[in-house]
Amino acid sequence: MSGFSGCPGSRMVEFKDSPVGAGSEVKIPSQLRQWPIQLHLVSPEAPYYQGADVVLAADCVPFAMGNFHGDFLKGKALAIACPKLDAGQETYVEKIRSWYEDAKINTLTVMIMQVPCCRGLLATAMQALQGSKRKVPIKYVVVSLQGEVLQEEWVET
Amino acid sequence: METPLKTPIKEVINRFPPVGAILEEFGIGCVPCSVGTCLLGDVVEIHNLSPADEDDLMMRIASVVSPGQAIRRPDSERGRTAKPRKLTYSPPLKRLVDEHKLILRFIAMVPEIAGRVDLESGEGREEILAAVDFIRRYADRYHHAKEEDILFACFDPDLDILKAMHEDHRQGRACVQGVLDALERGDTDGVVENLHGYAGILTEHIKKEDEILYPWMDRNLSTHQVGELHARFQDVDGRYREVQESYEAYVEKVEKNKFIERAEVSR
Ligand SMILES: [Fe+2]
Ligand SMILES: [Fe+2]
Repeated sequence: MSGFSGCPGSRMVEFKDSPVGAGSEVKIPSQLRQWPIQLHLVSPEAPYYQGADVVLAADCVPFAMGNFHGDFLKGKALAIACPKLDAGQETYVEKIRSWYEDAKINTLTVMIMQVPCCRGLLATAMQALQGSKRKVPIKYVVVSLQGEVLQEEWVET
Repeated sequence: METPLKTPIKEVINRFPPVGAILEEFGIGCVPCSVGTCLLGDVVEIHNLSPADEDDLMMRIASVVSPGQAIRRPDSERGRTAKPRKLTYSPPLKRLVDEHKLILRFIAMVPEIAGRVDLESGEGREEILAAVDFIRRYADRYHHAKEEDILFACFDPDLDILKAMHEDHRQGRACVQGVLDALERGDTDGVVENLHGYAGILTEHIKKEDEILYPWMDRNLSTHQVGELHARFQDVDGRYREVQESYEAYVEKVEKNKFIERAEVSR
């Protein structure tokens, strides 16, 4: 693996089974309160975004994080996107700006993986804020491949 | 002292004065605090030391307060920060930190203003009134009101740290009243003394807020609360836009005057 020189976003890694909670029978309830969730499919003015605390998660984040529902999704509205593979991302800027201006969201939490290409999602949210008439606090959370929070900080605007 | 962690900090320091110096070494400035009712355990929590520093601090305090007996906070309350401290703020608290910068620029001018108090001339009296106006309308009615009415209201009003902050605000206001009373009496020394008094209190107060209080608040505010604070501050800022601009211009003018006077003196 040390000889790998390609994109760290698609580098192959295998993890050992997590000892904690492996094979546990406890059912964890979903905290999702809406549908759809993919950023191309959602309407930014949907009722569940009005005045909400919104999480914009990179597609991989909820799979990497064991506690995504309880720790980050609870009480919030959601959209997901992949800054690396999704087409037509200009519409993302417009949609996110519409969250700020029309839905008057309370906060935006951008959750990304630690791989460099994921930063693009935060850049898109910032680009939308630059042209926005209304300012909204943006927080970003960087998640490791094994689901730990590496960084959680408010963006200076 | 049976439960040092549950003892008000002033009481600990009064009974064991070396504790004050130990706290100072860790950047915890409780000695000059005017209230001092915070419990030792809460003081340690609020300063968010790294686990290693906290162990070190506790060992040294224990060696003074209860030799041979360790003092340790429960593991559930300890060590959330293993990382070195870097001061970052949520957007609403960053806004307050920026307002502090203008207040500190004004405070940096206080020695100049106090050094040339002239209560005989109309112009001299105007200069004092303009300084009082800045303190009252910008620092107090705008900035402190955002803190007291909006930010502090997110927390339990019985928290000792908040009582200490309110007390600082009150003392600042008393100094301003002192300036006005002295002006009325034509008492130059009184004006000077109260101006310096105000500068001293606010300098310490802002340091406490920037370095201790606000970071602690940010750690304890939910994402939702940060959004609400931001919206409410924006609302106030919108209403006070002209006030902000006019006081920025005032501070700039005072700074410029100082520069011009310096140039004249050196000529
Ligand atoms: Fe204050
Ligand atoms: Fe302040």
